[in-house]
Amino acid sequence: MTTELAIHQEHTRTVKTRERLLLLLVGMFLLVNFLGLRLAQPSSTSTDWLHFIVWLICASIGTLLLERNLPARDPLLFPIAMFLSGWGLILIDRLAPPFADRQTVWLAVSVTAMLIVATTPHPLRWLRQYRYVLLLGGILLLLGTIFLGTNPSGSQTAPQLWLGFGAIFFQPSEALKIMLVAFLASYLAESPSFFRASLPAFSTQRKWPSPRIIGPVLLMWGICIIILVWQRDLGTAILFFAVFILLVYVATRSNFILFSGFILIILAGFVAYMAFAVVRLRVDVWINPWPEADSRAFQIVQSLLAFAAGGPFGQGIGQGSPTYIPVVHSDFVFSAIAEEWGLLGVITVIAAIGTFVVRGLQIALQQQQRAFLVLLATGLSLLIATQSLLIMAGVLKLIPLTGVTLPYLSYGGSSLLASFVIVGLLLRLSALENN
Amino acid sequence: MSNELILLLLRIVSGLLLLTILFAIFRILWRDFQHTTRAMDRQKRSYGSLIVMQEIDGAYLLTGEVYPLLPITSLGRSPTNTIPINDTFASSEHALITLRERQWWLEDRNSRNGTLLNGRQVTQPVVITHDDIIGIGHISLRINLSD
Repeated sequence: MTTELAIHQEHTRTVKTRERLLLLLVGMFLLVNFLGLRLAQPSSTSTDWLHFIVWLICASIGTLLLERNLPARDPLLFPIAMFLSGWGLILIDRLAPPFADRQTVWLAVSVTAMLIVATTPHPLRWLRQYRYVLLLGGILLLLGTIFLGTNPSGSQTAPQLWLGFGAIFFQPSEALKIMLVAFLASYLAESPSFFRASLPAFSTQRKWPSPRIIGPVLLMWGICIIILVWQRDLGTAILFFAVFILLVYVATRSNFILFSGFILIILAGFVAYMAFAVVRLRVDVWINPWPEADSRAFQIVQSLLAFAAGGPFGQGIGQGSPTYIPVVHSDFVFSAIAEEWGLLGVITVIAAIGTFVVRGLQIALQQQQRAFLVLLATGLSLLIATQSLLIMAGVLKLIPLTGVTLPYLSYGGSSLLASFVIVGLLLRLSALENN
Repeated sequence: MSNELILLLLRIVSGLLLLTILFAIFRILWRDFQHTTRAMDRQKRSYGSLIVMQEIDGAYLLTGEVYPLLPITSLGRSPTNTIPINDTFASSEHALITLRERQWWLEDRNSRNGTLLNGRQVTQPVVITHDDIIGIGHISLRINLSD
């Protein structure tokens, strides 16, 4: 017993030192780059020091409070989130300085939200108990955006994906994705097929999914189609549907689901290609952007040029010209990183996000037979993974571009908030007893 | 020092810091991986093995099959047993080997043709040791304890 206690204490001590060491390294990296930005662009506003100080405060309060409340948490999740979001702050200072103050406020709000999720007594039980309320709330939010949605730029032709409250704009699809993952996790956890599937299979009988499984899948498909048709938000629709297919697959091990989900995506994609100009544009410039490099394909071609200009070590912060890419600060931050930090920066981002996702899936494995927790951790990790893959592959022209944010790095308050709530939930799950 | 030189230095430091962060992340992952594999090795300690033999013309010949000996090892014709025995003389649930209070016990589970230990019929649970030979149908299993 005493050795077990000693091992436990040593474990929590290493969590603390590992987390702080990583945060220290990240802080140094950010400091060097803020300095570089200041030197390369002396005209930049003087408030950007304030952004670094806010980041420092968030990181130190965050690690202190987590240490007090969740001593046995995963040591990598919080530093990676702070690393990418701090880098995001620098990128916005660099690429779109007018938005940087706003993003800094959102960072403080997001870290606070993460700490609330990580320290309140029973967030996981609430998520499970009030799942129908969550689902209803999510659908109401979606309906609200369809009828009352606006765009922060005030444009009437741009996608109306935001809900505005005075000066604050919020994108409900970001909240919706967490709500729906939590709903689906608790719904599938109660389906008996989950436990049956987790037994070693002696019988080779084919498992056809029951209506209990097919029902929510069709519901999700419907929701995604609504998002696609009414809002022209291709990225969110694909993200939702892909994550839910994967989650149902994890819960039931049914290859049929994976296969039919793939068919449904192809079908929906084909119909969307026929029906919507925006989808046709994305697919056309994905197949061959070069004939239209200065018109319809301008954005993606500039992104590819940014990757080429970056080379192995990049141009250095403030010394490249990523601002040639339209809306570089939200969808195309990855190209900006490629241009100014080069292959090294790109690899670091991919490694950081990959590590985050792997740790999330490991947390799912630790939950053993508690089906809801397994599925919740899996779903949240898959959200981050799918979203990152969609946009990173999109700006590299590996797949048609879908306009989703790169988690933690892109400009976007609601996206940052949702991503930090995901960190909070995963930290919470990683620190559960009896692992 | 000129501005360009400082910027170059900052770029180098920034790149080195990125490498350090990558290294730190991978070191943590590697340490955790080692920790997990060591913990799994400890759990997966081996107890011993059962060596399958066949008696032909009064001599035991190895068939080449070796099964791990587990704290609960069931033997029989049904494929759900820890050691499935493909022999028409074996019952579907034929015999059971268990580890109780640091002793290995063999019991017959009311099989039709009975279980032999070193050539003698097993009627009630008996303690078995290293090099004992269990007979089920035409098949014999020699017990090999590791410690």
